[in-house]
Amino acid sequence: MIIKCPYCGPRDVIEYTYQGDATRTRPDAASTDQNLWNAYIYDRTNPAKSHREFWLHSGGCRQHLIVTRDMSTHMISSVAFSRDNKNVGDQR
Amino acid sequence: MADLQSPLGAAYTPGNHGNAAGGAGVTLQERTNVSLVQVTAWSSTIPTVLTAIGSATGVIIQNKPGNGRVAGEKSVFGFAPGRFMVTSATPDIEQRLRAAISPELGTIVVLTHGRTVIRVSGSRVEWVLAKLFAIDFSAHAFPVGAGRATLHHDIHTLIQRINEETFDLYVFRTFARSFWKTLGHAAEEVGYRVE
Amino acid sequence: MTSWRLPQGGRIDRAKSIGFTFDDKAYSGHPGDTLASALLANGITLFGRSFKYHRPRGLLAAGSDEPNALVTIISGDVREPNVRATELEIYDGLVVRSQNRFPSLEYDFMAVNQLAGPLLSAGFYYKTFMGPAIGPLRSTRFWMFCERFIRRAAGLGKAGTAADPDRYERMNAFCDVLVVGSGPAGLIAAEAAAATGARIIIAEERPVAGGALLASSETIDGRPPAVWAREKAEALASLPNVRFLTRTSVWGYYDGNVLTAVEHVSDHKPNRTIGQPRQRHWVIRTGKTILATGAFERPIVFPGNDCPGVMLADAVRRFAMEYGVGTGKNVTFFTNNDSAYDAARTLALTGTNITAIIDVRSDVSGTCTNIAKAIGAELLVGYAVTGTHAGKSLSSVTVQHFNAQTGRLSGAPREIKTDCLGVSGGWSPAIHLASQAGGKPEWDEDLQAFLAPEPNQNWVVTGSAAGYMDTISVLSDAATKGSAKTRPVLPQVEAPMFDSSPAPIFEIEPAGKSQKAFVDFQHDVTASDIRLAYREGFHSVEHLKRYTTLGMATDQGKTSNVPGLAIMADVRGISIPAAGTTRFRAPFTPVSMGVIAGERYGDLRPHRLTPMHDWHIANGAKTYEAGLWHRPMIYRSHGETVEQAYTREARAVRESVGIVDVSTLGKIDIQGPDAAEFLDRIYTNMFSTLPVGKARYGLMLREDGIAFDDGTTWRLGETQFLMTTTTANAGPVMQHLEYYLDCVWPDLRVHLTSVTDVWAGAALSGPKSRAVLETCVTGTKVDNNALPFMGIVQGHIGDIPVMICRLSFSGELAYEIYSGAGHGTQVWEALIAAGKQFNIVPYGLEALGTLRIEKGHVTGAEIDGRTTAHDLHLDWMLSKKKPFIGSAMIDRAGLKNEHRLSLVGLISLDNQSINGGSHIVSDKAPREPADSFGHVTAACYSPALGKYVALALVKHGTSMIGKRVFATDLLRDKHGAVEIVSHHMFDKDGSRMHG
Ligand SMILES: [Zn+2]
Repeated sequence: MIIKCPYCGPRDVIEYTYQGDATRTRPDAASTDQNLWNAYIYDRTNPAKSHREFWLHSGGCRQHLIVTRDMSTHMISSVAFSRDNKNVGDQR
Repeated sequence: MADLQSPLGAAYTPGNHGNAAGGAGVTLQERTNVSLVQVTAWSSTIPTVLTAIGSATGVIIQNKPGNGRVAGEKSVFGFAPGRFMVTSATPDIEQRLRAAISPELGTIVVLTHGRTVIRVSGSRVEWVLAKLFAIDFSAHAFPVGAGRATLHHDIHTLIQRINEETFDLYVFRTFARSFWKTLGHAAEEVGYRVE
Repeated sequence: MTSWRLPQGGRIDRAKSIGFTFDDKAYSGHPGDTLASALLANGITLFGRSFKYHRPRGLLAAGSDEPNALVTIISGDVREPNVRATELEIYDGLVVRSQNRFPSLEYDFMAVNQLAGPLLSAGFYYKTFMGPAIGPLRSTRFWMFCERFIRRAAGLGKAGTAADPDRYERMNAFCDVLVVGSGPAGLIAAEAAAATGARIIIAEERPVAGGALLASSETIDGRPPAVWAREKAEALASLPNVRFLTRTSVWGYYDGNVLTAVEHVSDHKPNRTIGQPRQRHWVIRTGKTILATGAFERPIVFPGNDCPGVMLADAVRRFAMEYGVGTGKNVTFFTNNDSAYDAARTLALTGTNITAIIDVRSDVSGTCTNIAKAIGAELLVGYAVTGTHAGKSLSSVTVQHFNAQTGRLSGAPREIKTDCLGVSGGWSPAIHLASQAGGKPEWDEDLQAFLAPEPNQNWVVTGSAAGYMDTISVLSDAATKGSAKTRPVLPQVEAPMFDSSPAPIFEIEPAGKSQKAFVDFQHDVTASDIRLAYREGFHSVEHLKRYTTLGMATDQGKTSNVPGLAIMADVRGISIPAAGTTRFRAPFTPVSMGVIAGERYGDLRPHRLTPMHDWHIANGAKTYEAGLWHRPMIYRSHGETVEQAYTREARAVRESVGIVDVSTLGKIDIQGPDAAEFLDRIYTNMFSTLPVGKARYGLMLREDGIAFDDGTTWRLGETQFLMTTTTANAGPVMQHLEYYLDCVWPDLRVHLTSVTDVWAGAALSGPKSRAVLETCVTGTKVDNNALPFMGIVQGHIGDIPVMICRLSFSGELAYEIYSGAGHGTQVWEALIAAGKQFNIVPYGLEALGTLRIEKGHVTGAEIDGRTTAHDLHLDWMLSKKKPFIGSAMIDRAGLKNEHRLSLVGLISLDNQSINGGSHIVSDKAPREPADSFGHVTAACYSPALGKYVALALVKHGTSMIGKRVFATDLLRDKHGAVEIVSHHMFDKDGSRMHG
């Protein structure tokens, strides 16, 4: 599999580290709502279709990327820097 | 101050090695007495930092991924968003960069002790490096001056193309001896000379 | 012995000869020969014994599809099994043995298995060796018991045990167009693609380009096709934008248009140049892939079809045309399609006598009839072969009238004397790579074969791989597929016109008793095995494959998949596409493990060495691997044992002073206006309050509240910190920090850089450590006022700048001295020299561990991904003033449960060592520790206490202090009484390190 890093260009998957589901939302840091935290930490969907994931370009520019990938075909439809993504962070 | 000790130790053996009877396909060399400074801009200050690097070093590069330039003993290249390697044979480069780049513009980390620079040159350089790295070394994909960050096995490496047949490899110092042996092994097929 | 070498023809160099050995007998061949052609020329037709029944087998094919002729190459102690004789190029001194026979190929004891034929039918192993439901040999245990006997009887070649001395390499390649195959389609497509200036890689499995043209008797531009192909290939190879790889088999097609290939760089050479690999593993990333992989001829299944001398029709032609060797003096063909007529016509041109052509079809075209007439072969239309007769090789075949509509045989059997039968059951396009890439192959009624699916990546299939079976349409298809921009000029081809559509006949099945009819030659699967599998309920093709092992041998069913599927479809009464097909998997052809491992064999990982590594080795350090690092374990002197050495080292630290290399600690430079805020969120304790010039011990948790890592972080400036991590977690901590900055708090202005390699670190510990520093450090004071506990100063040792932090892992007065890595050895040696008057001792990881166990300090053995701060008595570090990573989850009931394991110390009561990993039990008698309520995380002899001690994680922890329990290690049969004590076993109030 090849992921096209927005900075480094296309690179083999071996240069990347999978960093988990990019669709979840971290609760407000001060929140004590256990259900919210529980969902954030443990609940994952496993859709057989397009999905957003974090990948760290650990063997390259060391940026976290948001990769949109079809879980059934491995086709990657978009790759973006996580930092540019407005949908991440506490309380998105 | 005392000279820096090379991490290569006894593994650094000048002379011809491998299948070098018909001439060495590549030449390997450790670059010593070179100061390495990493400059990282904040996302909003990249153009300003590039201007500041230009004023401190006289080497101006463009704000494009992997862009870089070599000017005599100095070189500058980008290898991550807003992150640049600045090298110079003169140690005052750190002070010049610190004077030009405030913490509001970006941060500076001196890596002279932490990265080992290995220069590989020769007619078979692309062939030998392609054994170790999964990036495209052809001139159109990797132009002179450009920088890349990539991986050989567990060894994170920065690479700058110095000219058509020369590359500088920046490896983490503690991996350098292991990497040097691997590089020599890969070069045996075409024969190599250690300067 | 008669020579089977034809008077002329082939691309062999008849002027030179090559000597080699097969089954300890010397033979000779010519350059250009494969082992198969050279042995055939020497009259050898028996190449091996079959997998299950040990039946004598000859050659079936002439290339990578060969299922029978597998041999073992012997080179000293090294043996490479299962090499196809049809691909093995001979060289001087080659030594080869046949396989799966005992004691010899001709007299094989195991051939008795043939008599036990019915016993060894499909699923035999499963049924027979499942074992009883109870008892000592229940279920799989019985299988394991029987397996070694079965393995001796059934199998292919044996792997050797000697280390492989050969060199293998990996090569990364990038191109715009990869052309797989260099037959007529590959050559023309490559020519078209190359004309655009694109970067092209052409990979050819065989030593020379040409594919089917090499054995063709047509004419291209007035020349023999093999000559045309050679010229075309040479022209392509000379282009600057083309890389032409021969002996290179593309075997895997992966996501993102990444293909893998194995190049046999020097397998065909008796000697290699320095540094030349035996094989090279190519990983090719391409923009577009052109699959010009050709087609495989398939056999017809009929009784006695595995008799040596029965071959594929095309193989008969190839041996004659490519190697100038005859496979028989009187050759007969058996076919369901026109291509065998071309084979017969071509073979006749080499002077071979063609006895007969047996065609299952009820009528054939005028072209075919004319060929048979012209070459003087008897044409038996509407006939089929129903049996074979042989001594050591084929002597005759039995034929009978055959009705292609009903599949019925009729009339009196007739015998035809022949020593070679060339069989053609039609052609299967080689769609393996396209199938690997994904998608379901599509059945083509006309060709009676599967074609490649619609591309899901940027690939095209061309030539016979795309179902074009004659040279003219192959070339014109390739011309359009090579490039959308350029169209090469097509050559003039002179060839007879044939119909490419075979009759849908895959099997000849006589009504009564008959010889075995093989479908999968390599795994000895017969047509009746498939029928049996069906009767036993294995209907889906996936089940059928696994039950019978059809198509699961090293040839992946290249010749057997379609016939097998056809028989399955027939018994189920459905069409072949309805019976389904299986997806091909990598590798297309067997690939050695060595070439995949490349340079990474043996010493699999790179080494990481600290700046002082050479000093350690020169001074007697015995090292061991800690992750990638090579670290001193002990410095041995005067033949000490390991325990004596570390005890001496640890004692010296407590009594005077010792020095240890701590350069391996992870070090991360953290800079930026928000650095302090960032650390407050990362660590459980506060860092924004830390003054510049001071360090603080920090603990970080995971989001779920479990402890993650600990270490000290030093504030070097208002916006600059130096974080240290445990050696093992340097990478994971870096990744953790990067994740939060990139993905969770992108608004924080913080930069991270790994500086582990920038700094050499030496920890100086012991009551005399300050005195050592005072004698060698300039530019700063190091007394208690200038350098209090957790203070940091900058100074010099000699002319080298150093940074000194007063902190302690040993529990003694101690300092960590950091210098630039390139100065590490000089600073280390200066410290040793300064400590000489105090009898300074260098110490290794064993003593480091001993000192920390005595103090109850935790490491990765206790921060094991299951323990909380509370479990480790580190809850004092959990700030109540701010949220931090994990703060929301640490108060969960399960993490506060009193039954949790928590950290304690253990003292041996029998003055015996305690094994790490021992279970804590209350029962003195060694037995399965079902009542285990804890385990030992680290153990040593403590010189400070004069006892064997350990740290352990034990249920109810602290409340168990004072209890007498047992540490039991059933693996090493070591059991002893221990007392549970506080984990602070030495200097509980910390007076020594604050002194
Ligand atoms: Zn990248």
